[in-house]
Amino acid sequence: MPATTPKIVCFSCSFGWGYLGERDALGARIDHWLPVACSGKVDATHVLRAFQRGADGVLILGCPEGECHFQDGNYQTKKKVALLQRVLAAHGVEPGRLQMVLGVDPEGSRAVAAVDALARELRALGPVAVRAPLDGTIAPGP
Amino acid sequence: MPTKPKIAIHWLGACGGCDETIVDLNEVLLTVADAVEIVLWPLALDFKYHDVERLADGAIALSIVHGNVRNSEHLEVARLLRRKSQLLLAFGACSCFGGTPGLANLRGREDLFRWIYHDAPTVVNPDGREPAPCSTANGYELTLPELFDRVYALDQVVPVDYYLPGCPPPPDLVGNAVYAALQGKLPPRGATLAPHRALCDTCTRNGTKPLKLSLTDVRRPHEVEVESSTCFLAKGVLCVGPATRAGCGGTCLGTNTPCRGCFGPLDGVADGGAKFLSALSSLCAVEAVARSIDDPVGYLYRFTQPSSILGETKA
Amino acid sequence: MWQTQSTGRTRVEPAIKQFLPPCQAKCPINEDIQRTNVLLSLLPDTPEAAAGGIVQIGDYLYDRNPLFEVCGYVCGLCELDCNYSEKGGAIRRRLLKRFVADHYGAHLEAKEEFDLVRSKEGVAVVGGGPSGLMAAFDLSKRGYRVTVFESSDRLGGALWLIPRYRLPEEVLRSAVDNLVRITGIDVKVNVRVGEGKLTLDRLRNDGYRAVFIARGSPTPRILSFGGQPVEGQELSGVMYGQTFLYEVSHGNIAPDYFCGKRVVVIGGGNVAFDVARTARRLGGDTTMVCLECEDKASRDGIPADHEEIKGAWEEGIRIVYSRGVQKIRGEGGVFRRIECPRCTAVFDETGFAPRFDLADTVDLAGDVLVLAVGQGPERAWLEREGLLDDAGRLAVDPVTLQSRTREWVFVGGDMRRIGFLAEAMRDGLEAAESIERLLRGLDVREGRTRSFEAQAIPLRRAYKHEPEVVWIPPEKRMHFQLFERGFTLQEAREEAKRCLTCGPCLSCKACVSVGLQPELPTVVVHDERCSGCGICSSICYYDAAHPRPAHGGVRSSTDRFRCKACGMCVVACPADAREMFGCDLDQRFEQTLAAL
Repeated sequence: MPATTPKIVCFSCSFGWGYLGERDALGARIDHWLPVACSGKVDATHVLRAFQRGADGVLILGCPEGECHFQDGNYQTKKKVALLQRVLAAHGVEPGRLQMVLGVDPEGSRAVAAVDALARELRALGPVAVRAPLDGTIAPGP
Repeated sequence: MPTKPKIAIHWLGACGGCDETIVDLNEVLLTVADAVEIVLWPLALDFKYHDVERLADGAIALSIVHGNVRNSEHLEVARLLRRKSQLLLAFGACSCFGGTPGLANLRGREDLFRWIYHDAPTVVNPDGREPAPCSTANGYELTLPELFDRVYALDQVVPVDYYLPGCPPPPDLVGNAVYAALQGKLPPRGATLAPHRALCDTCTRNGTKPLKLSLTDVRRPHEVEVESSTCFLAKGVLCVGPATRAGCGGTCLGTNTPCRGCFGPLDGVADGGAKFLSALSSLCAVEAVARSIDDPVGYLYRFTQPSSILGETKA
Repeated sequence: MWQTQSTGRTRVEPAIKQFLPPCQAKCPINEDIQRTNVLLSLLPDTPEAAAGGIVQIGDYLYDRNPLFEVCGYVCGLCELDCNYSEKGGAIRRRLLKRFVADHYGAHLEAKEEFDLVRSKEGVAVVGGGPSGLMAAFDLSKRGYRVTVFESSDRLGGALWLIPRYRLPEEVLRSAVDNLVRITGIDVKVNVRVGEGKLTLDRLRNDGYRAVFIARGSPTPRILSFGGQPVEGQELSGVMYGQTFLYEVSHGNIAPDYFCGKRVVVIGGGNVAFDVARTARRLGGDTTMVCLECEDKASRDGIPADHEEIKGAWEEGIRIVYSRGVQKIRGEGGVFRRIECPRCTAVFDETGFAPRFDLADTVDLAGDVLVLAVGQGPERAWLEREGLLDDAGRLAVDPVTLQSRTREWVFVGGDMRRIGFLAEAMRDGLEAAESIERLLRGLDVREGRTRSFEAQAIPLRRAYKHEPEVVWIPPEKRMHFQLFERGFTLQEAREEAKRCLTCGPCLSCKACVSVGLQPELPTVVVHDERCSGCGICSSICYYDAAHPRPAHGGVRSSTDRFRCKACGMCVVACPADAREMFGCDLDQRFEQTLAAL
């Protein structure tokens, strides 16, 4: 189990999460926090990039189903997450490292709790190990 | 009489289909052959690696390399050709992106060996032998190229000047590329010598796509009859055309087969699979449809896993 | 809590191409419904925490509509055109506004006066009803010195005729009093312009450079049949609805006035229902008779609001549809009964032209007859002032409200055309604009006709049903207290969240004003990358992404008036042919990655 805090990239929908909280204060409590206008704006590329660049987990906080300001943006990302988890699993990355939580949390306290909860799970999982990674030396083998 | 430009054509981890497409140039090939001096082409001519090694660095005007880099021999030759060539063209999906063999990266060498030399039901291997770079038989030392833990695209081991994707690339694009090279009319380095839009641009079926496409059921090609004029996606058959570069000439579509993505992603798209994932999930009417897709990674990364974002993750 | 003032980037801009959400297009004063709905949906979940936000929303509404609290009780015009009507019920905007009003009242009493420099000309407003008050409010904010001449003893005009069970007296009184206080309008009550020497010319001589006349329609329409007045309207026990409501509002009628009496109300409009339901609350056994039929959807359908009909029915009021009144019979000068032939058609192609089957006539006996078949302006005065044309019609430009006979006179409100509260208010605003243009030497007409195109309902997976409106049960509401329960904070948030925000972002910008987005992003299509695959069209909820022929192929396009920049198409585009300008997500994402 790594001693260091797991690195979690946290996307959160601004219409549902933390919009009443003090942004700087919340930012101080969530290390890699990315408020977005809608969780539907999170692209599969963002998620994969985060893992590639060293994230131990990705958390997406969206509005409750049926309450998206942009109609169904949260649901769009829910579908993406379902497929992405399988892509991750195929690459040897535990699908639980990518999670989506739907809810409303104007003050942002639940966001902090959700990040902490994922961090606990990630500690148990240890570091990310993508299968067959690129070897920096290019010429592998003995 | 000025000396003819030297050209090398070589295969690395490849099936040979790309060589086939070069042969398919037919008469054009004869014209080209007149204009150039071929210094390496294992399929057709009997030059050896040491013939290339004897050339001065940069002596070869253009090396056309197909296949991926799977073992230590591939790497050695890729480096040799890079050193000897002014221009290096990654030819075909395997060379450009890693190709279908790249899906083996989802396993790693150990897994592959375990299955192929031990666990597969047809294997008879009582001594538990596996290929090894060095072995001794009857007092002789035998060497084999070492199989790497993963598949590499060509540009993951040496710098590449141009790309011509496809499985295989169609003869017209090959002809254009060779002429452009010979006449010095190549675009800036790093370019892909194929159109810059997705396949839907030229697909005759695109017009039948409804304004609101919504997949309520994902079907495989053998499960549904799709008329030759109808968009596959409109019938629930996964077609990667919207995320795949045009230029193939629609060969698969012509045989009523959906696009599988051999031309790879568009310029600037970091991960064609990820982009198609976002597109595909948006088309799925409900989450259950997205979940019902068999082997999504196979669909999304059939030709591109080694050069995808996760495929490029460093150890 | 928020910066709801329209400053800088958060400023609401007039919708280019006049695209608006249908509610705002329907609202005569184009209130910022969508924006305030969004703000309501973002309120904190405890009343204490939400209080500041509610006041801010109220202040924002007040800035454009100082009568918004009144509207919150009586006006639901916007709901008629709500896209949600067909998908589960219109957004209850009136109740949302009432929710704000219920919490804003205390704040309004203490609201600071506007800091206005009244350096411009004097303008007289004749009539202190909603139209006149809106003109006075707007002109005052524009720097004019405004004097309101009101013939009765109080401002508010026809608003006072709205029964208290719909509009509490303290709400109306507070709205009117505070409007005068906050804008510093000069008010002269019990002054009847047109009487004695106080003519329009006199006003002009007294220094008023323009006059807005909005004196409503205080004259009840005489009941007629076949083009002739019906005899018997002078009988004891016969009265006019408007007069009746006026007396009730002044407290001149005892609570048991109609006890044990059979009251017959003639008319099928909302005023007739106000009369009937008021009479019922005064103890009357009430029956309504109207020309129109029950089917509201038909041309001859009853014009009153569905809620009025439902309320009356619950309260035990009988409604006799499709009957006219041919004769009013009395005995000894006292009303006894009416004779009602069946009405076979109310309108024809030319308009109101009722036809009857006299062979099918019924008698209806009663003790009191209240006629509520319409009202009109005071014509004699208008004629004296020369404001009518040769045909006896008001000679007024319908767009600028400028008199055709005197360029410094403007006429609006019910006086010009009987309409809804908000329509009278719009006339006040239009007159204010015209007066400003006239006095500043600008073209009064130029660019005044506005037409709005409403946007369609966004697509989504599921639509929600409207919330139940809670009314006090009929047996417990025979009094003049409000019978409709307002929203709780939780209900208001949920209902506001149900709003689909159909309209263009440019005319809303709620998200920018509360800091959810730094600015409104724009989606652009890179033609050189687009293959016309159509995935953007499939995903777009707003019908904003369309294929178009170009370069011999198909390319997609974005209708920027429909586009909300939600980014679904940008994410879904497999060729990266769509880009979101003004969205800093990718930049922040890169910074985040760098910090990992």
